[in-house]
Amino acid sequence: MKPSIRPLAFSVLGIVTALVIWQVLAEARVAGNALPSATTVFANLASTLGLGSFWSSLASTIGIALLALALSAVAGIVIGLLVGSFESVRYATLAVLEFLKPVPPIVILPLAVLVLGPTVEMSLFLVVFGCLLPIVMQTVDGVQSTDPVARDTARSYGMGEGEILARVVLPSAMPYIGTALRVAAPAALVVTVVAGLLGGGPGLGQSIYQAQAAGDYAGLYGLVIVLGLLGLLFQGATRVAERRVLHWHESYREVVP
Amino acid sequence: MSIRQLATLSPRPRKSSMAQQPETRISTTTPRLDVAHLAKSYGSGEKAHKVIEDLTFTVDAGEIVCIVGPSGVGKTTLLKCLAGLHPASSGRASIDGRAISGPPAEMALVFQDYNRSLMPWLTVRKNLILPLRHLRLPASELKERCDSALAAVGLSHAGNQYPWQLSGGMQQRVAIARALAYRPEILIMDEPFASVDAQTRFDLEDLCLKIRRDFNMTILVVTHDIDEAVYLADRVVVLGSRPARVLKVVDVDLPVPREQITTRSLPEFARQRTEVLSLIKRPA
Repeated sequence: MKPSIRPLAFSVLGIVTALVIWQVLAEARVAGNALPSATTVFANLASTLGLGSFWSSLASTIGIALLALALSAVAGIVIGLLVGSFESVRYATLAVLEFLKPVPPIVILPLAVLVLGPTVEMSLFLVVFGCLLPIVMQTVDGVQSTDPVARDTARSYGMGEGEILARVVLPSAMPYIGTALRVAAPAALVVTVVAGLLGGGPGLGQSIYQAQAAGDYAGLYGLVIVLGLLGLLFQGATRVAERRVLHWHESYREVVP
Repeated sequence: MSIRQLATLSPRPRKSSMAQQPETRISTTTPRLDVAHLAKSYGSGEKAHKVIEDLTFTVDAGEIVCIVGPSGVGKTTLLKCLAGLHPASSGRASIDGRAISGPPAEMALVFQDYNRSLMPWLTVRKNLILPLRHLRLPASELKERCDSALAAVGLSHAGNQYPWQLSGGMQQRVAIARALAYRPEILIMDEPFASVDAQTRFDLEDLCLKIRRDFNMTILVVTHDIDEAVYLADRVVVLGSRPARVLKVVDVDLPVPREQITTRSLPEFARQRTEVLSLIKRPA
């Protein structure tokens, strides 16, 4: 076997094995009606794909996750640049930020639902709450890791503080920001689904809740599979984007002297 | 690279405020760069750490002055004071009589760590343009400055490459080209050739001499290499440690133009390097 196709072959083998185990467990009825067989789920999923409601839920989930991710990225980078650059801002905010960092979005979900209701805004708020702080923290780390020689170079050529921030500090922080976004993208998807599942926000989470409430287990697992695939897509897309933006960074360089 | 290419790199026009000064300012009586009783310490009170005790020396227009001294003597601190990156604790440094309080517009700095001072996310050409953006020059002039600066260091072919795709010596030439594109009147270099191999080092030293000759630039080089200092300089400022103070300013009387093999084999070269070396080696 060629080495180049070996990873692919093993991946396929792994997926097939997982599906076979699922099928066997379901046929053996280890979980009774709660675990329908793989073949039933995929057949059900195929028919679901023809429904307009499925596509609109999918679109809501993707839309909310992406919009919240974009908001978190813009706000997180701006806040991170400020916190990282100015000592006074850092001391004023760091205690609050460190306090909020370990609070998972699910903890404030009841509050969000109470104030905003089962709405798009509620979902957006929860996702931003979950994604913003890690992006801020990584940006702060990135800003502080800017090479002092690069800063001195820019200053010695008479570049202003704002210009240095935009043209030297921000690009140096990009590897950190890239990592934060790669972690945040799948997390945004997860929180969007949780907001739908537990908070009633629109999207696939809500569809999963409805399928569960109706005892439609085949439909439920079909949606879970769709979510899994969506997660892979998000992860892949951020990886490709990161590779393109950070092509100059040591970890992505293709030409080494 | 031809001399004609170099000739296109004329120094940038002096600022109007300087043009109004009487012509006598540029005479030998007024030094371009004047360092008077400069001192620098970090911290304050009892815990103050004195890096520079009391430095006094001058650099005349069009001169190459090398600063040598034992490592850790505070040479880099001195350059940062001259470049306006750190304020001096006492005394003063001035250009044409004006005290340096921030990065002077007529000065460019070349750091030892080219791989830290060049931006890895920018191509060579964009690295050259980065410090020029705030000057708001027309696009045609930006291009012309980049082309002539790259030609001057023999890197016309490398404009679209990234610094990390080039060898160490080439990267330091990019850093020098960036300084040239800025069209400074005073060029300050901090151990510029310490991180390259010996052959590249000779080439870069000659490049430095060529820059002075062709652009009539005033150049201050910090180095720990005594041979390099004597080879390059019109005068060598020998520093003693610590805290740093001027031991002696040695006038170098070697003929110009200098050439790596013939200059370095002159008896006079040996005599001058011995003089500098014995100053540094002498127990404090």
